[in-house]
Order: sequence, then structure tokens, then C-alpha cells
Amino acid sequence: MSNITYASINDDVLNSLEPPGKAWWLSLMVILGILGMGVFAWGYQIRHGLEWSGISHPIGWGVYITDFVFWVGIGHAGTLISAVLYLVRAPFRTSIYRASEAMTVFAVMTAGLFPIIHVGRAWNAYWLIPYPNQRQLWVNFKSPLLWDVFAVSTYMSVSIAFFLLGLIPDLATVRDESKGIKRFLYSLPALGFRGTNHQWLHYMRGYLLFAAIATPLVFSVHSIVSWDFAMSSIPGWHTTIFAPYFVAGAIFSGCAMVLTLMIPLRLAFPGFRDIITIKDLEGMAKMILFTTVIVGYAYSIEFFIAYYSGAKYERALFWYRPFGEMKNFFWLMVFCNVIAPIPLWFKKIRTNIPALFLISILINIGMWLERFNIVVTSLAHDFDPYAWGTYTFEWVELWITLGSFGWFFMWFWLFVKIMPSLAVAELKEALNPPMRRAK
Amino acid sequence: MSKKFSGVWGTFEFLDDTCSVVKELREMGYKKITTHAPCPRHELDHALGDPQSRVPFATLIGMFTGLGLAVVIMLYMTLDWILPVSGKPIISIPSMGPVAFELTVLTSIYFTMMAMVVLIIKDTKAHQFPQGKQYKEYNRFMRDRFGIVVPCPQGEVEKVESIFKKYQAEEVIREV
Repeated sequence: MSNITYASINDDVLNSLEPPGKAWWLSLMVILGILGMGVFAWGYQIRHGLEWSGISHPIGWGVYITDFVFWVGIGHAGTLISAVLYLVRAPFRTSIYRASEAMTVFAVMTAGLFPIIHVGRAWNAYWLIPYPNQRQLWVNFKSPLLWDVFAVSTYMSVSIAFFLLGLIPDLATVRDESKGIKRFLYSLPALGFRGTNHQWLHYMRGYLLFAAIATPLVFSVHSIVSWDFAMSSIPGWHTTIFAPYFVAGAIFSGCAMVLTLMIPLRLAFPGFRDIITIKDLEGMAKMILFTTVIVGYAYSIEFFIAYYSGAKYERALFWYRPFGEMKNFFWLMVFCNVIAPIPLWFKKIRTNIPALFLISILINIGMWLERFNIVVTSLAHDFDPYAWGTYTFEWVELWITLGSFGWFFMWFWLFVKIMPSLAVAELKEALNPPMRRAK
Repeated sequence: MSKKFSGVWGTFEFLDDTCSVVKELREMGYKKITTHAPCPRHELDHALGDPQSRVPFATLIGMFTGLGLAVVIMLYMTLDWILPVSGKPIISIPSMGPVAFELTVLTSIYFTMMAMVVLIIKDTKAHQFPQGKQYKEYNRFMRDRFGIVVPCPQGEVEKVESIFKKYQAEEVIREV
């Protein structure tokens, strides 16, 4: 970062906020097309019912709950990068954290749609929130599903607050560099920030506290999501390792999505290449490497415990996953999550951008399949052979899933053109300040 | 802020010059100094005498408020309609853990945010700022320049100005 100055960081960020070109509009059209198909499919499901979702007895949780867990997982990396890596002062964090935080907010917004889609009658989704209905009946606080309502809504609320808080000084920067209506529009969310010592003092102390509080929150949210499954008695779900296993998997998939987004971002804005360096991308690749080992270990220990416990239902399920009729999903998951990241052990691959991009896409696919395997195969093969079943995908749920990607990318596309996608103040903080005596 | 400003403000290219001016002004007894910087710098904090923020107290209060609120909500709702589940105790402390934790986090975050806003407004109101258009429209504080604002009586303006110039301030503007 030797050629980078305070002013050049401002210039790079302002360049990214210039009016978009044809490529941006074209890609936005494609994204909106996919989102439109997703909205149409959801409308179709509301009109014709959940039979179009692929959910039926005995598999009551299907693609929508898989999507929910997948998107919550993606949402993990942003807060991990902005909070946990802030506390441990990881050097590769500064350049990528703003876009990762935006990714978190949009991913959790996407995840929040799926319980609403899954319940079918979306207009009754407010029943999840504690309120006294006509019989003065309250929600069941012993249910992990209710814990999840609190966990995900708290996580979304805190992620948005953390994201907006981090943006304030950078919006002030854009305001000061703009003129006319643009200046006025950026001055509103900048809240009069002018970089005074009074502002920085309380801002930085509050930001540190946010990071400290958000750190346990990161670990709690996916632990609670895992308890949606682990607190039940279904074979394949009732496992004590689920909380750390889910947290590691969430960080794994979130870091992969960070790479999936950062690599095109670097390509789209050449000024960012000096800031989002190969070293920063390599840092994410190392995080992936660390978490793929944990995920691989969790996969194998699940099989070992099923064998070693002697529990016949557990054994039957863990035989069914790799050798039953849904075995292709299992082996594809193993390939994407355990085999595909192995080349990252080599520095040559960790610093090769096309290879990193390809591996990140494979991990995204693999982590969706992991959630599908956990959710669907366990329900397909529980205690009673009479109640066993299989899953048939419907076009509606597949389009809703694709539409969720359209929804997520639509927000991200708008974000990179409206908000500073680099953390201007923190990048400046990481530079050597201009000193007369150093000259 | 409503009082008419009398004093000097200036801009600097270098952080060490800015810190030197702040230190010298503090040694001369000027305590109500405001600095501007494009990013947080500890060097400036040290020059200003390492002021401490009281935001953490609000976080702590928010934490206890959230925890208390969660326990009260869960106890009230659980006892308002007795709902036996799988033979578990009606009031089950372990199952209260997740909701209590989440509300503790949520409330402490909002208390932290509110404290930041309130303390920034309070500190800003306690200091005087130049009223001139040149200061209000100066747009390099968030880009690459440091700034110092020192309120002082009319008779001391020249003395303060000379310190700014000694450390090669880019611009020195007096408002009286």
C-alpha cells in the first residue's frame, strides 16, 4: 500500500460511485430477471399452495429451510470479519470488511424471507413474534424455533446497526467530495460528522464495544440455528457437536462468499486492486482452509459416533446418506467442501485469482448441499421404515431459491454504486500518517 | 455553539505539526480545543491529554436492562398461560438462556448507539466553533487535512496565530 495516500483512497472510492456503465446495467437486468422469476414462483405458491414446494410427508422441512440456514451462514462472515477480526487486529480485514458487512446485512435480509415463505400463509408470519392472541396464549419459550426468532432478528438488527455506524464517517467523506443534490443526499445519513476529536472519541469507543458485543453474537446465532435441529430427537439432527459444526460451516461458507464478491469487485473497479490486495484475498483463503479442516472433521466424527455409539437408527441414517437414493448430494457436498479446498494448502493456488474464484463457487454450492443433506436426508430416513420417504424438487422452490440470489445480488449491486464499498476512515487509519519529520 | 465565536482556526498537512500545536496550546492553558482529522489518530488523543469516553457505562446499563427485560418478559408470559411441554418445568432457567442473551446484546447495542449520539452532541455543544462560511464549507477535513479550532478572547488572537504559524499551518483564519 506504499503508493496509497489519504487523498487517493477518497478518489478510488469516489470513482466507484460514478454513474454506472453498460456492464452494470446489463448485469442488474439479469439479476432483476432472476428475482422476478423468484417473485413469480412465490406468487404461484401462494396461489396454489405448498404442494408446489416439494415439502410433503415425511419431509416437512425442505429447500426453504435449507435456504434459510444457507443464507444465515453466509451472513456470518461479515460480522466475523468486522467484529472478530477487528478485535484481533487481523491485517487483511481492513480492505474487505465494508463489503463483507454489506454482504451480511443482505444475506440476513434474504434468510429472513425463508421462514415466511416456508410457512405458506406468509400473511400469518407475525404469529412467530410474542404477542397475546385472542386466547391470551403466548409463544413457547422452551422451543428452539422461538430462540431462533430472537437470535436471527437480533443478529439482523445488530448487523444493520454495525454496518450503518461504520458508514457514517465514510458518508461524510463522500458528502464533502460532492456537490449539489448529491452533497445534500449524502449529508443526511452523514449526521453532521466532520471528524472532530469529540466525534472520533465516542465513535471509536462505541465501535470497539459494538465489536466486543457482536463477537459472542456471531457464535450464538448459528449455534441457535443448529439447535433448531439438535434439540429434536431425529437421527442425524440430535447431535451435541452441531453448534460448533454449524458455526465453522457458516464461517467457511461466508468467507467463500466474500471471495465470490470481492474478486469481481476488484475487477470492476481497477482502483481497488491496490487496496484489496492479493495478500488480503490470501488471508480469506487461509480462513477457508482453517474452517474446511473443521468441517471435514465434523463430517467424519459424525460417522464415527454413529458407528461407535451403536445406536441403530443413527447408524442406519449415516449409511443412508452416502449410499441411499440421495447419495449424489452427499458426495457432491464432500467434494465441494472437503476435496475442492485442498489445493489452498499451496500458496500458488491461494494467490491465483481464477483458482480462488472457482473454489469459492464450489464451496458455496457445497455448503448449500450440506444444509440440504442435514435437513432433508434426516427427515427422509427417521425411526420408522413405514414413514421413510424421498424428496422431489419442484420448479417453484428452485426458482424461489434462485430468486433469493437475485434478491441478494440486487442489493449488493445497488450498494456498490450508492455507498462507499471500502472503509475509507479505517483504510486511512492503517496507513502511516503524513508526518513532516518523516520526510 | 450559539455564542458568537471568537478565536482562531487553521489547517495542517502534517499530523506531527498538528499535535505540536495542540500540546503547546494546552500548556498555555487553552483547554477547549477542537481538532479535525480524516481518521481517528491516537497521536492526537495523546496531545489532547487522552480524554476518556463514557460510552461503556451506557453499554453496561443497556446490558442489565436487556437481561432484566428478557427475564421479566419470559416469566410473565410463561406464568400468564401455563403451557406444559414434555414434562419440563414451567419456569425453566436453561431454556431462558438464548432469549436472555439475545435481548441483552440487542439492548446494550442500542444503549451504546444512543450514548454515542448524546455524548457527541453534549461535547460539541460544550465547545465553540467558527461561524464563518469558510469554516463551514471547508471540505478537506475528511480528505487529507488536519485542523485545529481554538476559541480565545480578541486580545489573544495574535498569540494563538503565531503558534499556528510556527508549526507551518497551511491556512490560519481568525474570527472575532
